[in-house]
Amino acid sequence: MATKRKRFISALLSVFLLITILAGCSSSNSETKTDTTGTSEAPTTTDKDTTSTTGIDTSKKVELQFYMLGSAPKDLSVVEAEVNKLTEKDLNATVKFNFTTWTDWEQKYKLLLSSGQSVDLIYTAEWTQFQAYAKKGAFLPLDDILPKAAPKVQAYVPQDMWDAVKIDNKIYTVPATYQEYVTNGFVWREDLRQKYNLPKPVDLASFEEYLDGIKKNEPTMMPLSVNSDVRGNLLNLLRELRGWIGGPIPYGVNIQYDKPGEAYSYWGSDEQLQDLETIKRWQDKGFFSKNVLNVKDTLQDPVTSGKAAAILGDNPTRYNDTNNKMKSTHPDWDLGYTPYATVTGFATPVHPIHNGFAVPASSKNAERALAFYEKMVMDKTYNWLTEYGIEGKNFEVDSEGHYKMLGDSNSNGFQREGMQGWAWRNPEFMLFDKSYDGVDAIFKELDKVKKPDLYLGFAEDYTAYQAERAALEQVEKQYLFPLQAGIVADVKGGMETFMTKAKQAGLDKVQSEYIKQWNAYVAEKGIQ
Amino acid sequence: MKADLVASPNAPGKKKREELPLKKKKGFLHELITNRIMFLMLLPAIVFFLINSYIPMVGIYYAFVRFDFNTSLFNSQFVGLENFKFLWKSGALGRLTLNTFGYNLAFIVIGNMLAITCAILVSELRIKWLKKLTQSIMFLPYFISFVILSVIVYNMFNYETGFLNTMLKTFHMEPVDMYSKPIMWVFLIIIFYLWKNLGYSMVIYLAAITGISEEYYEAAKIDGANIFQRIWFITLPMLKSTFVMLLLFALGSIMKGQFDLFYQLVGNNGLLYNTTDILDTYVYRSLKVTFEMGMATAAGVYQSVFGFVLIMTVNYIIRKVNDEYALF
Repeated sequence: MATKRKRFISALLSVFLLITILAGCSSSNSETKTDTTGTSEAPTTTDKDTTSTTGIDTSKKVELQFYMLGSAPKDLSVVEAEVNKLTEKDLNATVKFNFTTWTDWEQKYKLLLSSGQSVDLIYTAEWTQFQAYAKKGAFLPLDDILPKAAPKVQAYVPQDMWDAVKIDNKIYTVPATYQEYVTNGFVWREDLRQKYNLPKPVDLASFEEYLDGIKKNEPTMMPLSVNSDVRGNLLNLLRELRGWIGGPIPYGVNIQYDKPGEAYSYWGSDEQLQDLETIKRWQDKGFFSKNVLNVKDTLQDPVTSGKAAAILGDNPTRYNDTNNKMKSTHPDWDLGYTPYATVTGFATPVHPIHNGFAVPASSKNAERALAFYEKMVMDKTYNWLTEYGIEGKNFEVDSEGHYKMLGDSNSNGFQREGMQGWAWRNPEFMLFDKSYDGVDAIFKELDKVKKPDLYLGFAEDYTAYQAERAALEQVEKQYLFPLQAGIVADVKGGMETFMTKAKQAGLDKVQSEYIKQWNAYVAEKGIQ
Repeated sequence: MKADLVASPNAPGKKKREELPLKKKKGFLHELITNRIMFLMLLPAIVFFLINSYIPMVGIYYAFVRFDFNTSLFNSQFVGLENFKFLWKSGALGRLTLNTFGYNLAFIVIGNMLAITCAILVSELRIKWLKKLTQSIMFLPYFISFVILSVIVYNMFNYETGFLNTMLKTFHMEPVDMYSKPIMWVFLIIIFYLWKNLGYSMVIYLAAITGISEEYYEAAKIDGANIFQRIWFITLPMLKSTFVMLLLFALGSIMKGQFDLFYQLVGNNGLLYNTTDILDTYVYRSLKVTFEMGMATAAGVYQSVFGFVLIMTVNYIIRKVNDEYALF
């Protein structure tokens, strides 16, 4: 008896185990659940009017998966619930807002697109490799869906913007219409500059004088804030100051704005040698840490906490944010700003590709997703809710029509554009903080020397040289990064080593292919 | 206990092997029916491995095609070995293989030796609370994440404000720039790895030691063996099977580096890559921004094949030397 019972129990246990294993695999569990609730609610929630106005079939209830980069605001669940109340009524759908956090977002972004996971809306920009992904077919072409699912957005976004975001003559992303500048400028501590009577940084030479002064007068402070991405926050900025075409052009190719047809190799050039020597000199003077390649702070944090006294280059909006953040804890400190346009003589407003939302190829609800996105852009209730949070709880509008955050940055669970809502900004509904007037003034200055962005419409196809490309990335990190951090004693020798290694990895092939494609693009678009 | 089990059925075990062919004639189905409960109990494990390990193996094919968002895996264009090209294109493959292999070998050998030593020392401690305390203190670092470890290390060794250099300066000595000395990191990485993982592997050996019957020791004591002789002639031989098993498990993944450890400690610092770059960090860096599924899979296939060949060879050698210790 006892053995029989034992046998029975063990058999039962193993069956249970098997079931648990199998249950772990089924992903359709949650989907069926929402489906059943959907059908039971369907008669009450689907009303005929919405179906006819949106022009798409909303009879079946769906859950849209919305993906944004960065971290979620604290009050996301509250806002999500509010939004879902609206969407259930308007579109017979619920939306799940997902965030990748900034940690390893490139990895996660790649997986979201390639794993076949159901994603309905995802953020795109040139720095998330939109052009390359679109060219490879990661997104759905929207040309046919737009008129049906989002006619208002289609009409609202100007035609030249739609043309500008086209990759191989197809629309893959809905661009943001808000015109801003993300060109860089010098950022420094104005209060310290006045205290020690240092020159105002207007070009590289005066910036260096300022740093010298800080080093002398504030020995415990790091004059310049730099982190391990020395390519992004030192070298590319020096190149931007030389008037390159903008956008992080890869593989050491250089294109000057005034001569777009004459791309050449910056790597190995005298210009590069000069720039690397500048960095080396700054390193020797102790402007930033010797171990900069292992520094993991953001650029802005050391400045707001008073550990560093300048940033070589940051965009006007982020400069303003940094300044406000710093002032909230240290009201007597102040930041100054000079846009690079004073040196280069021109500024390019963002290309429409810079902020957008696309529908991945794996999406099953493309129409509903676009219809929802239209609501976020064109409907003031949706727009304010997802940009600024809940009125009266997270923000309020003062008598002059300015945005006012309630509480401070710690207690407020949904700060301005807390969902990184850069892409669905609508200039007509946008609210600005009073302090934003400063940014506005910078933008007005830049408007005077405005020139169009020539670069970002270009989509590179690297299938032919993908192995060389990956190998080159390695060589760059190993041999060029130490040079760009100014920690190699012999700059010239180091540069030669780097060039030999890069050539071994196939630099010539990569550069010539890239330049060939670029020249074809220049010819096609008629850029002089 | 374990040793008992292995030692006693030795003779019948051999007999069984001779009988095996006879049994087989009755067919698999007969075996299935007579031992159905046993097979039922085996089923969850089989299903688990089938779903998690065997079915995903189809993905190996990604290494040989050009990834395409719009078609399925088997309709993609076959490109042969092109995806593997980036591994040797930068001329780093030999160094990477050597580094990955070398570090893991050091981790396994030094790690196990230290773990055995510590386990014996702790097991000989007679004061109970001290024993528990030592064990806990050694185990704690295991729970520290590599991200935090990297912050600790940075604050110890950074040139301007690090602990090491501040100390050197107070003694009026020259500060040292650790982050530009590649050789030092070979030792640092091994030390930090051991510091973090020693407690964990020690517990395994400690459990094995607890399993050794007290009778052996008592008999040895009566025969006049001192403590060192007891350790040398009883404890160590008894730990051999545990050691071999752990060794074989570890060897299979010898080409899979401790990504977190290396990535967090070294990061973007190209100066240190010659001695600290392993396959995993290399692949991560090369393919981080883009989505070359094919190339990433290719690197994984290289690691797995290397590990597979290695474990088969070592297992074969062990089986030749001593049948009982082999995994299969």
